[in-house]
Amino acid sequence: MKLRMNNVHKYYGEGESRVEVLQGINCEVNEGEICVLLGPSGSGKSTLLNIIGGIESADEGCIDIGDACTSNMTEKQLTLYRRNHLGFVFQFYNLIPNLTAKENIEVCAYLSKEPLEINELLRTLGLYEHKDKLPSQLSGGQQQRCAIGRALVKNPSILLCDEPTGALDYHTSKEILALIEIINQKYNNTIIIVTHNDAIKNMAKRVLKLHDGQIVKNYVNDTVISAKDLEW
Amino acid sequence: MRNPLNKRLPREFSKNSGRYIGIFLILVCTILIGSSFLATMDSIIYTINQNDDECRIENGQFESVSTISEELKEHFKNKGISVVENFYTTINDYDGNAKILVFNEREILNIPSVFEGNLPDKENEIAVERLFAENRNIEIGDELTLNNRIFIVTAKISLPDYSSLFKSNHDLLMNTIDFGISIVTKDGFNRFDKNTLTYRYSYRFENTSMSESEKRETTEHIQKQLLLDGITLQSFLTDENNQSISFLREDMGKDGPVMKVFIYILIIIISFVFAVLTNNTIESEAAIIGTLRASGYFKREIIAHYISPTIIISVVSSTIGNALGYTIMLKPFQDLYYTTYCIPPIKMQFSLEAFITTTIVPIVIMIFINWFMLYNKLSLSPLKFLRKDLSKRKQKKAIKLPDFSFIKRFRLRVILQNKVSYLVLFLGIFLSSFLLMFGIGLDPLINHYVDEIDDTLPYEYQYVLKTPIEVDNGEKMEIYTLGTWYKLGKTDINVSFMGVSENSTIFENIELPEKENEINVTKPLAQKLNIKIGDELIFKDDYYEKEYTLKVSGISDYSSSLSAFMKQESLNKLLDYNPDAFNCYVSNESLDIDEMYLAKYITRADMVGAAKQMMQSFESVIQFINIFSIIIYMVLMYILTKTVIEKNELSISYMKVFGYNSSEISHLYLNATTITVLGSLFICIPLEALCFKYVMIYVASLVEGYIEFYLPLWVYVVIIVIGILAYFLINTLHINRVKKIPMSEALKNRE
Repeated sequence: MKLRMNNVHKYYGEGESRVEVLQGINCEVNEGEICVLLGPSGSGKSTLLNIIGGIESADEGCIDIGDACTSNMTEKQLTLYRRNHLGFVFQFYNLIPNLTAKENIEVCAYLSKEPLEINELLRTLGLYEHKDKLPSQLSGGQQQRCAIGRALVKNPSILLCDEPTGALDYHTSKEILALIEIINQKYNNTIIIVTHNDAIKNMAKRVLKLHDGQIVKNYVNDTVISAKDLEW
Repeated sequence: MRNPLNKRLPREFSKNSGRYIGIFLILVCTILIGSSFLATMDSIIYTINQNDDECRIENGQFESVSTISEELKEHFKNKGISVVENFYTTINDYDGNAKILVFNEREILNIPSVFEGNLPDKENEIAVERLFAENRNIEIGDELTLNNRIFIVTAKISLPDYSSLFKSNHDLLMNTIDFGISIVTKDGFNRFDKNTLTYRYSYRFENTSMSESEKRETTEHIQKQLLLDGITLQSFLTDENNQSISFLREDMGKDGPVMKVFIYILIIIISFVFAVLTNNTIESEAAIIGTLRASGYFKREIIAHYISPTIIISVVSSTIGNALGYTIMLKPFQDLYYTTYCIPPIKMQFSLEAFITTTIVPIVIMIFINWFMLYNKLSLSPLKFLRKDLSKRKQKKAIKLPDFSFIKRFRLRVILQNKVSYLVLFLGIFLSSFLLMFGIGLDPLINHYVDEIDDTLPYEYQYVLKTPIEVDNGEKMEIYTLGTWYKLGKTDINVSFMGVSENSTIFENIELPEKENEINVTKPLAQKLNIKIGDELIFKDDYYEKEYTLKVSGISDYSSSLSAFMKQESLNKLLDYNPDAFNCYVSNESLDIDEMYLAKYITRADMVGAAKQMMQSFESVIQFINIFSIIIYMVLMYILTKTVIEKNELSISYMKVFGYNSSEISHLYLNATTITVLGSLFICIPLEALCFKYVMIYVASLVEGYIEFYLPLWVYVVIIVIGILAYFLINTLHINRVKKIPMSEALKNRE
């Protein structure tokens, strides 16, 4: 599903303390693309991701997903939009502590009319052996795999990943990125990854660099390299 | 696919079993008490009403010195009034001092209900009223010797015209030990000497749908007709005036509203406890909720998930509470009535009202309060949940604290962080210690009331006369009852006017007003009506339709009744009586007055005994209240103080990493709770005493008399000691819990 950002503005605060965190973002992400949103802290990348995900609203402009515009949606429509089209992966996994890995994935499978086959997904994620473990019994990487599985099980058109490797070590981070790559190839989802790790841009087809709420670079990467070959 | 979130529920119940078991216990106890109490009460009312119809209870009775003619009976029959013989003989010396009335068998009115055995068939068989039989250990097959005649007990029965065992209608007290009723066959009855019979006739209106005024007119007709026929009456009682019938009717149902209020208060507190717990869960799972919302879960789906424990616990508790209420708890409540009243076998009925009150309403209250909290909390955006920012205010600033030491400021921060939990804890402490105050305080309160009566009653015997007769040694006085408006009770109350002789030696301590339009009122009357010296009161005489305005000139320490004192002469003048008229004797010695001249006969022992009897009937309930309030104390304290530790588990773990030891950490976190609990206990005590006082004023508005509020200091001390002991017991559990929090908690990946 094609994603288009049209003149997206976002402000925080009021009066003199008002800050414009997004200053008219315009860009497109094509269906099946991996897009990396880069930028330093406070550049507005997470805010933009949240607006795309419909959990924050733009003050001006809109996000077009296919034929729909999120700014015209009611709260109920936004929930349905998230339910039907989006998957979220966060830095801190946010798994339900008293559900097993498989059950955590089922939580989102429940929302979909045609969810992916969970056991197959668990195998893809490398979690099949750990499916009956509680999150506290899993390593950080396994927990993030589980969180990815939870986002993916609905087979969403767009997968939004907010610093998915932010809490992981080098090797585990690479494993997770490789997994995202595999998923993209297998399910052809559009994937947007927010990160401050510059090296990750090399695995993305599209790279957006944000600074002070503006896109300072928007380019298509001609020399995409595999996640396992990333170095930082 | 079933909602996978539901799989969390059994794990949630298992993980927080202590919390849920505590709430479950309080709910089950509340509901089982409520349902068994209300269902028993409703069933008794149903049983009595049904029994009154089936057993054809009388509408009234009269006793004459001779029998009445068949023509007169026929006359009444033609008027739709069944008048039947209800003769009895009196045995005054059964088993030493007990009095038994032996009635002839009954076929038309006041038909007995059998508890055990069979009604007598032979002339030497007898059926005995159940309560008297139990109190005297009379069993079926036993032999009773009555006036030298031997009877074999064949049944234990109840009689509709003796649901309360009053030896005499002017008695203040029921007497179920020294007074009993029995029934024999016609042949058996003929075995007694005819000279010992009392000619009692019972009457019943065949038209059961008569209005009150029609009943009054018909009753007047009976009295008039008896007089016209030259019948000399020894007594005439309608069912309303007959304490043996009316006492139970008036008593039933009185406690229902109090029980309902009690249930609702408890349910509201438990609902808030649940709301606090759910709120804490929401706060600790904010990121998960944010993720679920971001993943496409609707708000209603999240609410449904988090309200599930409330619904499950409420429904399960209600079901079990009702099941126990209708089974194991029925007997204790039925026994409360069986040991006091002579009621027929209770036919247990399913009480829809009790079910609604104890089940539907509590569930609705619980769900509504929790739903409201959840709805309000979950109106925040998914992003706020993901950021764990659950404040509705835009900028949450730290409250500036005075320049206290670090430790003090730390504790204050813990109190501020947990202010909602502490507020509910305060309410819980208030309610449970109020119940405890009620349970512990009722005994000294009633004892004080009894002592006051005993101390201030200036005579041993009071004889209210039907007609003035002269006797030796008694002090004459005029007694008359007038009504006055009682604003709080929104009704008229009766005040006994006592016209006392100026030379009275018995009332020598009472300052009789000099002026004719002045009165000296008793302390209970002054307290009940909230009057002071100089106030003017309007009194009404409904019978003669007159009104009197009288000024209060003094208040006397005379605690036994709501009374007003005047000079005998002044009262008689007020009532247009002869200046020397009298209708009462008071004396410190027993006077020799034939019972036929007496309208009422009261002794000091009766007055004091009535109060003691009231206390006895409360005893089992009081014990229950005490145990129940301590359970509430413990459970609420445990649940709410535990939430403080749970909320701060991570911080406690950090503190350990920083080098604080468990004892220091307990001082920081648990002492904040200790301060709150002790503070609540001390703040609650005067508030509870005030509430208790108002409860007593409210109770006074429902009943005829007045019990002054009184609580000795030791009651307050006991409540505080119990509160502190309960808390420190729980605190010990928490100290162990703090010790068990691992340092690794702080070292896990945290946002």
